[in-house]
Amino acid sequence: MIDPNYAHPEALVTTEWVATHLNEPNSRLVESNEDILLYGTGHIPGAVHIDWRADLQDQTMRDYISPEAFAELCSRNGITKNTTVVFYGDKSNWWSCYALWAFCLFGHENVKIMDGGRDKWIAENRPLTREVPNYPRTEYPVPAKRLDDEIRAFFEQALKQSQEKKPLIDVRSPGEFKGEVTHMPEYPQEGVLRGGHIPGAKSFPWKRAANDDATFRSAEQLKAIYEREAGLDPNGETVVYCRIGERSSHTWFVLTYLLGHKKVRNYDGSWTEWGNRVRAPIEKG
Amino acid sequence: MSYPPKLSEIISLFESLPDPEKRDTLIVFAGNAGNQVPRSGERFDLEDVRKDEECTDTVGIFLRVNPDNSSHFRVSLGPQVQTLTKAMTSILCKGLEGVSPQELLDVPADFVPKIVGADLVRQRSQTVYYILTRMKSAARVWLNRQRAINAAASV
Repeated sequence: MIDPNYAHPEALVTTEWVATHLNEPNSRLVESNEDILLYGTGHIPGAVHIDWRADLQDQTMRDYISPEAFAELCSRNGITKNTTVVFYGDKSNWWSCYALWAFCLFGHENVKIMDGGRDKWIAENRPLTREVPNYPRTEYPVPAKRLDDEIRAFFEQALKQSQEKKPLIDVRSPGEFKGEVTHMPEYPQEGVLRGGHIPGAKSFPWKRAANDDATFRSAEQLKAIYEREAGLDPNGETVVYCRIGERSSHTWFVLTYLLGHKKVRNYDGSWTEWGNRVRAPIEKG
Repeated sequence: MSYPPKLSEIISLFESLPDPEKRDTLIVFAGNAGNQVPRSGERFDLEDVRKDEECTDTVGIFLRVNPDNSSHFRVSLGPQVQTLTKAMTSILCKGLEGVSPQELLDVPADFVPKIVGADLVRQRSQTVYYILTRMKSAARVWLNRQRAINAAASV
């Protein structure tokens, strides 16, 4: 059951809801995973696959796709501007939150997360299929712009946030925050030259927002963590970051949709940009 | 250098496939990874079960070297191991079956992009080489042990 005390409880759906709404004409189920090949091994019937690397990112420059490419992505997956897009995936919904955030970058408003993600669906012995659905093509309008200024932070903005001592939430593991490692446990230590965190950032690992079954914690539990313990103001400006922006998308979703904070931005350059940037200030410990 | 015959066959198969079918075939191989686990009663000369940072879960490498110097691998994978790692496990167990430990060490790793494609290598550079590295590591340990045994015997 979805906690009705979330600021936007409509942004979360249960596995049960998905199971009973598989054939809704105006909704589209989207699977987004870290495991590149996982969708092909079996997925929820009717779900399309959106890959965070191949579909959402520019293949040359480190950036997201253009509004034109986003419109094409939606059109070929049978998504219209009014389609309710329900995201789910592996890894406690990291990548589905990332995909949702990317859809929000282009102003797509009807978005939801399936609470508990792929693992919960499978744990409940719900059906999977390898059949790839084929939906009639739509003509998704090219978004007027990408909402980079509204929900995304760049290096300069994260630096300003740090210098002005405004809230910066580092959602990586404690070891990454302290600078002992440059990647989360169980992952290769690659790609970043320096460890530590952005000066002034507070450590609130993403996992604190999730239960063991990958569902989100209750509204009251989340308020206790982010508002009382971290001291975040629902009307204040907050920047969240991790290593490449996926775990922080999870926290961005929590703050924006479950707690209703108004001005949360995801610094997707995150530590792979900050930790490699010449003379970027770093705190350790 | 040429590859072991069974591995060559697999490489040729993948090279003949367009990318979408390459991925489908990797998924088929991944589905067979469960068949590579040690069977009840099997004996091995070397067992190396551990969790490394390069992989998302525990991987066990089990090596038996027969009297004719041919090697036989079994591999156990933890549940969180990624699909690509499962596929490489299945491919390598099949492709390297029967080669000698020294032949295994001599197999160049440049066949990996031919199987998984350059994109997946770029995105998952650690994952795609991990199982091969672990198998080579087991072969190296076995060879070093044999050299030590032979040296002791010759004294």
